[in-house]
Amino acid sequence: MTHSTPTPSPESDLWPDDLNPFPLRSRIPHLSARNVQEALAAETPDETHLAALLSPAAQPFLETIAHLAQRLTLRHFGRTIALYVPLYLSDICSGGCVYCGFAADRPRPRHALSLDEVESELLAIKTLGFEEILLLTGERAPQANVDYLDAAIQKASLHFHRVTLEVFPMDTLEYHRLANAGCTGVSLYQETYQRSDYAVLHRWGPKRDYEARLDAPSRALDAGIRSVGLGVLWGLADPLTDALALYRHVRRLQRRFWQSEITLAFPRIRPQAGDFQPPFPIDERFLAQIIWAFRICLPTVSMSLSTRESPVFRDGMAGVGINKMSIASRTTVGGYQTPHPANEGQFIIHDDRDLPTFCRALKNKGLEPIFKNWESLYRTVSA
Amino acid sequence: MNNDLFKLGGRSFSSRLFLGTGKFADSGIMARALAGSGAQLVTVALRRFNRDNPADDLCVPLLKIPGLCLVPNTSGARNAEEAVQAALLGRELTDSPFVKLEIHPNPHHLLPDPIETYEAARRLVPLGFQVLPYIPADPVLSKRLEDLGCAAVMPLGAPIGTGRGLATLDMIRLILADSSIPVIVDAGLRAPSDAALAMELGCSAVLVNSAIAAASDPIEMAIAFAEAVGAGRRAFRAGLMERSAFASATSPLTTFLDSSSGSSR
Repeated sequence: MTHSTPTPSPESDLWPDDLNPFPLRSRIPHLSARNVQEALAAETPDETHLAALLSPAAQPFLETIAHLAQRLTLRHFGRTIALYVPLYLSDICSGGCVYCGFAADRPRPRHALSLDEVESELLAIKTLGFEEILLLTGERAPQANVDYLDAAIQKASLHFHRVTLEVFPMDTLEYHRLANAGCTGVSLYQETYQRSDYAVLHRWGPKRDYEARLDAPSRALDAGIRSVGLGVLWGLADPLTDALALYRHVRRLQRRFWQSEITLAFPRIRPQAGDFQPPFPIDERFLAQIIWAFRICLPTVSMSLSTRESPVFRDGMAGVGINKMSIASRTTVGGYQTPHPANEGQFIIHDDRDLPTFCRALKNKGLEPIFKNWESLYRTVSA
Repeated sequence: MNNDLFKLGGRSFSSRLFLGTGKFADSGIMARALAGSGAQLVTVALRRFNRDNPADDLCVPLLKIPGLCLVPNTSGARNAEEAVQAALLGRELTDSPFVKLEIHPNPHHLLPDPIETYEAARRLVPLGFQVLPYIPADPVLSKRLEDLGCAAVMPLGAPIGTGRGLATLDMIRLILADSSIPVIVDAGLRAPSDAALAMELGCSAVLVNSAIAAASDPIEMAIAFAEAVGAGRRAFRAGLMERSAFASATSPLTTFLDSSSGSSR
């Protein structure tokens, strides 16, 4: 069980000053029910309250925590769930992420969609009704570089109001170019903030550069990208340390980029080609606790949950902490126009319901699925 | 109270409760809450207009309600330029002369940017818009916007969605004292009594969204707000008695002074 794992040593990692979660991390095992009650009653919860809500002492309060998370989600996002869909453009990757099905040492045929294929995938997705699309690739590659993304974004922005990217870190000029092409958001998960674990998990490739990845969201926002998504890949390293560092990363960006949106996602390691076994497996109960703790301490931040999770878990979390979800996802390259690609995806999807089935489940919970929640006009005005 | 029509931008409204339309679980509940509230003016975020997908277009159910004045809002705009473009598109799509000018660049507290809001209003009024700016409860900004020719000002009671009521009460009082255009409290209201208080102070109307959409029973809450707004308005018109720190004695103690001889004053 995750809570019983030993507290990592603060000395084992060199932390950027403002992200260092120590000594608060070391205190978590010693926090009490009283600390949790204080967190639940806090007017403006801060990181000490987050620590309390993440602590073992909070487990008996999980029902109360869930109710508070639901009230805050309702207050700030209403009875709605925003929907988006991912499109993998390419699985060509030079990276050596030990946990990823796209890592360079997985024997598999590789493919990047041609721009014509991108167009037909976009049209197939558009027909489903989506207005927000997330475009993904592996590491930077000749077949999937910034020129390619620029062209793909321009195509996508003709069909979708919101076009976001989950690709490789770039420099400011490259982000600026993609913002002008119509990119509205960038997701870039640090995976783990713990440097020593990070070094082991990222065996080779550009992603070994911890700093380049950590600072990429700032570069994207500097370049005029409107929103950045942060996250940890839960299961890779001590979750409590990562949760506190993630919170600090959000707060750092919120203070510096006060006109930008900082969002969170909560991906958990899923079975994938390579059969990596997560060293810090997180069960659903603890994942829910993490999400709710973040909802309480960052009540206005948009928080999404992908199809990595099961239908039962997703239905339970919808509107209870979570305000945004993907559905009808394929984690293969393409896959919307040609429904059954030969290749395996980046990871195995757990919620494989189709869009109408999922929307019915949301409506049964009293939640309205929303496809369009932004206006592409704003993109063209400021480009 | 039918002789108490609220005139705004060349239109008359018998209801002084305006509704925001986001955050509802479905359009059926929204339509029933609207009917319960008696609201005749609703705001719709341009970002929720979906020309490509009627099932996802918030305007579709609203346009079916006869006589409803649909006001596009510019929420999502981060600066004056984006808001002006949004207003133009909103007018094209709805034919409404009104625009609710919302520029709140910080996505976390959604507080309005007074500088960009002023600039956008300065550009929209000459284009013939009836501009309804959502503003911080700032009496000076309020007069500045009035001077520009805005149709009303919409100071916030508290940050959007917080339900903290009329946290800006003292500033709203100052705005009301000097304003020659309607003052419509927008955002932050939680309970019908908050709306009643705003109306008792002399606000021309209130705009409510979260407090109704996020209530356990949005339809009942819409009716409760309508009643509170009506009661508050009626009380304002009736004239509240003066407040005093002291009880006024029914048997005065100073009358002897009036009749006493020898008084030199």
